[in-house]
Amino acid sequence: MKRSGRHIGQLILGSLLLGVGSAQAQGTPDPNGSVTFVTTADPTFNPWSPNAFVESNLLNELLFPGLTRWDKNLKPAPDLATSWRVSNDGLKWTFNLRKGVKWSDGQPFTADDVAFTFNDIVLKKELGANQGATWRNSVTRVNVVNPLTVEFVLSRPWASLPTYLAYYAGILPKHKFAGVTDPWKYTEFNKQNPVGAGPFKIAQVVSGATIKLVRNDNYWAGKPKLQSVTFKVIPDTNAQLAQLLSGDVDLIAVGNPELVDRIKANPNLAIDVATANIYYFVALNQNDPRFQDVRVRQALLYAIDRPAMIKSVLRGYGQVATGPIAPIQKTYYNPNVMKYPYDPAKAKALLAQAGWKPGPDGILQKDGKPLVIQMPTASYQQLVPITLLIQQYWKNIGVKAEIKTMDWNSYIQQVIAKRDYEASAAWWSTPADPDVLPYYDSSAANTGNNIPNYKNPKLDQLLENGRKAKGELARKQIYNEAQAMMARELPYLYLWYPQSITAYNKRLQGMRGITQAADFQYANEWFVTK
Amino acid sequence: MLTFLGRRLGQGVLVLVLISLVTFFLINLAPGGPSAAARFETTAEERAALSKQLGLDLPVTTRYVNWAGDVLHGDFGVTLNGGQPIGPMVRQRLWNTAQLGLSALVLSVVVGVSLGILTAMRRNSPLDHLVNALSTLGMSIPDFWTGIMAILLFSVTWKLLPSSGLYDASGGFSFTGWLRHMILPASVLAFVMLPNLVRFTRSSLLEVLSTDYLRTARAKGVQERQVILKHALRNALVPILAMIGLILPALLSGSVIVESVFGLPGMGRLAVDAALGRDYNTIMAVTLVAGAVVIVTNLLVDMTYSLIDPRIRHD
Repeated sequence: MKRSGRHIGQLILGSLLLGVGSAQAQGTPDPNGSVTFVTTADPTFNPWSPNAFVESNLLNELLFPGLTRWDKNLKPAPDLATSWRVSNDGLKWTFNLRKGVKWSDGQPFTADDVAFTFNDIVLKKELGANQGATWRNSVTRVNVVNPLTVEFVLSRPWASLPTYLAYYAGILPKHKFAGVTDPWKYTEFNKQNPVGAGPFKIAQVVSGATIKLVRNDNYWAGKPKLQSVTFKVIPDTNAQLAQLLSGDVDLIAVGNPELVDRIKANPNLAIDVATANIYYFVALNQNDPRFQDVRVRQALLYAIDRPAMIKSVLRGYGQVATGPIAPIQKTYYNPNVMKYPYDPAKAKALLAQAGWKPGPDGILQKDGKPLVIQMPTASYQQLVPITLLIQQYWKNIGVKAEIKTMDWNSYIQQVIAKRDYEASAAWWSTPADPDVLPYYDSSAANTGNNIPNYKNPKLDQLLENGRKAKGELARKQIYNEAQAMMARELPYLYLWYPQSITAYNKRLQGMRGITQAADFQYANEWFVTK
Repeated sequence: MLTFLGRRLGQGVLVLVLISLVTFFLINLAPGGPSAAARFETTAEERAALSKQLGLDLPVTTRYVNWAGDVLHGDFGVTLNGGQPIGPMVRQRLWNTAQLGLSALVLSVVVGVSLGILTAMRRNSPLDHLVNALSTLGMSIPDFWTGIMAILLFSVTWKLLPSSGLYDASGGFSFTGWLRHMILPASVLAFVMLPNLVRFTRSSLLEVLSTDYLRTARAKGVQERQVILKHALRNALVPILAMIGLILPALLSGSVIVESVFGLPGMGRLAVDAALGRDYNTIMAVTLVAGAVVIVTNLLVDMTYSLIDPRIRHD
């Protein structure tokens, strides 16, 4: 699945969720304990590589820590950096680095490594690094102040910088890349023998079969409690489940909620459920004049029975979405915004106000043109059933959706690259941070992450102000207003915040239970009971 | 014989060139692009940069010429989605698939030919009807279902055999570990081919058994067992061998499903991953190697005809 990057993975791979072996740790820790996880394909050991998809993300967190990581409140906490401060104008961030950190090959970690990672990899436009556009949007370069201090120089304020530094933003060892002209073709590092500063290091890679990591005794926070973590390459979800049930693997993500009862029947296994900052949406292409009328967008959302869809598609594991900032962001989530309960009558009324009247065949029409919507989708995870249900709901109010199903890569090319669609369902998974500018800013329409090509100067300004704001209270006020505006204007039709279901063997303990990504940042604390 | 060999090898090379041409242009016509340049969150600017890095900004014909030039020098290049050298990877995956395929082939030939002989000898007996029914069932059941059921029974319920992979998770090789991992996928793959072999052996043997020279042998008092094993089977083997030649491509295509279900790192799974990820270089390598394997094995099958039946000459 190997398909899209970060936004996809959260629902597929071993997501480590609230409560996994946390709090209720029991039994004696095994000093030689090992755990086995699954991944769907051969990983790429470089978090910035465009070839590192969902199969690599979590594994890379065990190898490459970032300057920050998330604490239990999803606030940036120290990792390779111990403290940071921002200049008054918001254009310079200074990070003090941790002393005594060593790479897994014994070399010392310094400011040069941080500068190299950003200046030579992330900010180099021609390399097209993962998330590169997000970073280049604000960061100009990283300067070395002294061996243990770096300075991020920004072109525009970015209050969320410390949060983004915790989001799959691992630091790479400069000394290993000496003389490497193309970092993406550096196979020795990317596929076999990476060097990281994380709690584990690669011991053995058998292509297509297993990736074995062993504890990194050089880890700055001390010796990890687990001796090894093995990832088995198992692309098939049925095979993953079989291995979990037979005790061959310790943790899997459960994509199909119908399997929960089957797993619960096994006394050695437990189920955990958690949310992350993921929201499903329907994008209505704003280059299509029909969808530029907010009444049409609102009507199309009123027409969808989201609670019923959550019940049927997600078996109840989700909650209706109100915007891009999910409830997991307790500080910033604003529940007091415009809501869209299922109301087909209201949907019809709004469409009538917008000039759409029923034609002879029951399909709504305006100026003699029927309201027919081209709706491409990908045969990937639950996108097809979601799209089919939406088609049915829209049909009930006289809107005809014509669905075309394709494989994931074709979908990316048609919908994302060419923006050749009228409506399409997908999802975003973003850092647990209210800064959603990359997905809504007018400059990101047509070419960037603003998938619906929505342009609203007022929202642009709000989100820009959110980046400039200092202090939680000031940011909260701005993002409350932004959420109210987005709920009213519907740049995307917000569907739901899904919950991830994880099944794990009860012997696995010591996980913090924050979010999947955050839990992997504290892998040195995991252990298994004897 | 040498003339025949030279002619067949020449034909084989021509077929491979045609395969490469058709495959290269077909995959480039297919919608979507390599995953490396087709992430959901990649911006247009990044896509352009990545396409340039991967050489996708060049015309297709230029890319084919470059690719063919590299292949003639024995270089399959690197994967588009990861920069891994393809040659060593294909070698490793081919070896894994060969282990699966040959295990399945041996299993299906031994069991299939034996059952075929047995049912031919006991025509219209309850055993014949049972094997016939099972063959029909085997032909009808899709291999992915058989695979999942096998995992469910032998791995999950009875915990007798591992459900996926080729070796133990430790990564170390041991023969018993290998055998335990191979039993289920090889059996499932064999089960797919078995019905054809059983039925073909049976009908081929029955045809030979009704010939005049065997009637003569029986009339001379030769025992039925001798008649079948010594006289009939040898003549029946030529069409059976032809059948095995036809089964080999099915082995390769069957391995695609079986490897995916059992998580085996073989050519089949490599092909699926490469196709889904639009990894053009890997697709080309896998297609060429698979084509070469089929051509060579068919040639070997043709050459063994004359060993079994001296009347067949390749002049």
